[in-house]
Order: sequence, then C-alpha cells, then structure tokens
Amino acid sequence: MLKYFTFRFLSIIPMLFVVTIIIFIGLQLTPGDPLTYLIPPELLASANFDLASYKKAMGLDAPLYVQFFRWFSGMLQGKLGYSLVDGTSIATMLGHRLPATLELAAAALIISSVLGIVLGLISSVRQNSAADYGNTVIGIIGISIPEFFLGIIAIQIFSIKLGWLPVGGRLDYGESGFLSLLKHVAMPALVLGFSLTAALMRYTRGTMLDVLGKDYVKTARSKGLPEWKVIVKHAFRNALMPVILLLCFRLPMLIGGTVIIESVFGWPGMGGMLLNAVSAKDYPVVMIATMLTAFMVLLASFLVDLLTALLDPRVRFD
Amino acid sequence: MVTKAVKSSLALRNWEKLRRNKLAMIGFCIVAFMILCAVCAPLLTPYSPTDIDLGSRIKPPSLSHPLGTDKLGRDVLSRLLYGARVSILIGLSGALGGAVIGTIIGCISGYFGGWFDKVMLRVSEIFMTFPQIILVLILVVYFGQGLMNLIFIFSISGWPGTYRLVRGKFFSLREENYVEACRAYGIGELSIMFRHILPNTFSPVIVTVTLSTAGYILAESGLSFLGLGVPSGIPTWGNIINSAKAIDVISNNPWLWLPPGLAISLFVLGVNFFGDGLRDVLDPNQ
Repeated sequence: MLKYFTFRFLSIIPMLFVVTIIIFIGLQLTPGDPLTYLIPPELLASANFDLASYKKAMGLDAPLYVQFFRWFSGMLQGKLGYSLVDGTSIATMLGHRLPATLELAAAALIISSVLGIVLGLISSVRQNSAADYGNTVIGIIGISIPEFFLGIIAIQIFSIKLGWLPVGGRLDYGESGFLSLLKHVAMPALVLGFSLTAALMRYTRGTMLDVLGKDYVKTARSKGLPEWKVIVKHAFRNALMPVILLLCFRLPMLIGGTVIIESVFGWPGMGGMLLNAVSAKDYPVVMIATMLTAFMVLLASFLVDLLTALLDPRVRFD
Repeated sequence: MVTKAVKSSLALRNWEKLRRNKLAMIGFCIVAFMILCAVCAPLLTPYSPTDIDLGSRIKPPSLSHPLGTDKLGRDVLSRLLYGARVSILIGLSGALGGAVIGTIIGCISGYFGGWFDKVMLRVSEIFMTFPQIILVLILVVYFGQGLMNLIFIFSISGWPGTYRLVRGKFFSLREENYVEACRAYGIGELSIMFRHILPNTFSPVIVTVTLSTAGYILAESGLSFLGLGVPSGIPTWGNIINSAKAIDVISNNPWLWLPPGLAISLFVLGVNFFGDGLRDVLDPNQ
C-alpha cells in the first residue's frame, strides 16, 4: 500500500516540474529587462554605464537553462523572488496569504462534498418526494447563478438584513478563537462550494438511482437485509466512485473560484494578492501565485486519488 | 436529392424529440426571448447605454427609468439590454473558438495518433491543471484587456474539453468499416478525416458548445465583476454588477445589481436546460 502511494506521489512530480518550466518561460516573456527595475534610469542612460558587466555580475548572461536551474534551486530553498511593485519578498507575502486561501478552499471542499453527497443520497432514496424536488431546485440554481451574485445576495440577507454573520474579512481586530473563525468562514465557504454541492448532489442522485436498479441490490434486499444496510453498504459504496471522479475534475474550478469569492467577501487570501498583482502587472507575483494554484490542484487531486484507493477494493496496491 | 431528404428528416426527427422535452423547450424559450430583447434593444428603450446624465444619478426605478439609473446617471434597463448583446456574443464566440481549436487538434491527434497525440494529450492535461480563471488572468496580464482579447483568451483556454471528446470519438471511429472502405476507394487522408469521420463527432461537440457558452457567460461576468474582463466603457452584464462591490451599494441600491444578476442566472439556466435536452437527443450514450 505504501508502495502504491509513493508511486502515485512520484508520478505527479513530472507535472510539477513542467508547471515550473512554464512559469519560468512566462517570467522570461515579461516585457522589459529585470535590470531596468533595479537600476535608476539616469544611471542607465549615462554614456559610461556598462550594462553588459552588470548582466554578468547578476548572472543574466548565462544560457537560459542555467538560469532556469539557478532559479529552480533557489525556489527549492524558498527564494521565490520579489514583487516589482514594492520589493517585498513573495515568500513573505505568501506566508500571510496562503493559509487564508487554504482554509477557505478546504472548508468549501468539506462542506460541499458532505452536503452534496448526503442531499444526493436523500434525493435518490426518496425519489420524487418533496425533498427530492427541493434538491432539484437547489441543483438548478447552483449551476446557473454566478458565484459573486450569490455572494452579494447572501451578504444582503444574512449580514445586512438579519445581522447574523459578518459582512466579510477573516477575523475582526482583536478577535480570536475557533467560533469567531467559523462565523467568518461559514458564508464564503458555503457560497464558494455552492455550485460544487449542486453538481455533486445531481451526480450522486443519478449514480445512486442507477445502482439501486441493479440486480445485486435486489439480491441484497431479498436476503432480508435492513434497507439502510442495502443503501449504505451495497449501493452507496459502488455509487461513490464516479462521484469522487467528478469531485476531482471540479477541483480546479473550486480553487479558481476563491479569486472571486475572496474579492466579494474581502477574504485576505491569495486571490486578492493575485488580483492586485494582475492590475499592477506585477509579473513575478502573478506567476508564483499561478504556480501555487496549479500545485494546489495537483496535490488535491492526489489526495482524492488516495481516498479512491482506500475506498475501492478494486484498486490494487501493487 | 435523396440524401438531402434523409438529412432534413433526421433533423426534423431530432427537433420533434427535442420539442417533447419540456425543460429543453422552456430553456429554448428563455434563451430565444432574451436574445430577441437584446436584438430589439433600440425599440425597447429610448436611452443609450452609454449616455451620462449627471442630473439623475443613482435614481431608484421609476416610470421614466424602469430599472433606475447608475452612479453616472445611465439608464440600467438600456445597459442591461445592450449589455446582453456583448455578453452573449462573448460567451458564444468563446465557446465556438475553443470548439474549433479543440476539434482540429482532436482530429489530427485522434486520427494519426503517434507522438503528436502523446504531446497534445500532455499539453491538454497541463491546461486542465490550471484553473481556467487563473489562465485567463495570466493571459489578461500579457495580452491586455479588451473585447477581442477576451474572446481569444476564452478560445485558447477552453479547447482541452472538446479536444478530448473529439480525440476519443476518433479513436473508436477510425476502426470502423466505412473508413476502411474509404481507404479502399483511394480517398485522401485529409478527406477521410474531415469529410467522413468528423461529421460523426458533431453531436457531442454541439452539446459542448451550448453548455460552455453558459460557462463563458458566467466567466465573463465574473471577470468583469473583478474589473479584469471587458473594459468598463462597454456595457456587459458583468460590468453593470461591477458597481456592487461596495457594501453601501449592496444594501441601498439593489436595482444596480439585482437585474443584471438575475439576467445572467436566467440566461445561463435557459442555456443549461436547452443543452441538457440537446444532449438527451443528440448524444444519448453520455
């Protein structure tokens, strides 16, 4: 089993490597020379200024692949480069921003997978009941409504009209504790996970109905097993596989969605950093943030893979 | 002559099947109605969507302005109607562009296989690792904001879905007997690929284009909401909502964000209903 997991983990390394190469090429393609940001323009314009020797001193005259490996090994040591706007180290910026985004995305992922699968199960077991129709309506809204619009409506209802939840932000000044954290993360996470919840619900319902019509379910029932056992142990386990595949497929959308949701709720994560960087054309920050989102997607799909392997006895570990 | 009759009867039969699907028809009516409103915008509202009238700023809905005015005194209804044109155009062109690129690469990749296929499959996997909104953001940084740029960006970030679909279809179709027959007749490879196999992949591609039109309309509105989509001078559904980033607008001026939000949701809903129905008719295996 350990062997299988190690193999799966090693197999995402080439992807990670290709992603870093793309990011490096992207950084190379940025307009302007990195030196022009470092050297005062009057010095650069003066006649006896030797640009070539400066380039040599900075290692910028080396062939591209050498520069790439220098950059890459620097990155492994946590040297992610500096923002063009104010010169802050990107690693420091990420240290503040990344945990917030991970927290939001993880909360949304947990909420929507539990909620989506449970609601889908209820829908399939009580087909054509009021609960089923209610879920169908939620499902339809979930795939059609823009996330930010849903966010605005939620703010209007729960924060402004009812005053139950804060308008935005991660923690108010001087606040701490799990409960206030929960209060802040609840609405953004629900909104972020809403379309995923809807998709998972529709899909769980579909595959469950499919499985419940199979012969072995009839056999299990005719053996006289209690209905919950038939549903949970016989039907649900088999219906879960395609659902997890869908979850894996939708992960990039969830992580991408944080950009918009963070902006709606003023969540201090990577999304806001990325947006500022895009508007300011702060290329290094944009590229590093992009690289991290790709890493997050790869890592999350690896975790989903592990989950699949643990749940499905047909996946062999050797 | 004969083949034409058969063709039209097939189309007719599919249309009949589609007509019996209630949800698809509701979707079709919503979409048709909204497109009609967008086309007839000049007849439905006397105002221009870009005329600034500082005398009547942020006015709530009234008889002269059925949906009120925004912070520059522009009529929200006319912005909504003219904005529909741009939003729908972007969604549809982005989806079509992605489908064309995906289909062409998918054809070559699926028909010939080999190293090209292996490379393109990897490339599409890498594209799919980046969340689409992030891809779009990077491309916005490098190419700049603009209507045509956005369509272009949507096209090149959206091809992997169609690519995989067409490639998969080609893998199974290229083993069919009729392809062998074509070869035996001495028909050229290009002609077999594009004239004989390709039309068989159209059904799922049409369904994908429909459904991804909905996705791109959502994406455009999200980007414009962030201020990174279409330049703010051009009215689109997302640009109208853009003003609702401030809390006081959310709580005090619902006419600025509710109508465009509902318009987007309704249109996307219609397209999704229609697309699902279309899939049931054209592509029953999926």
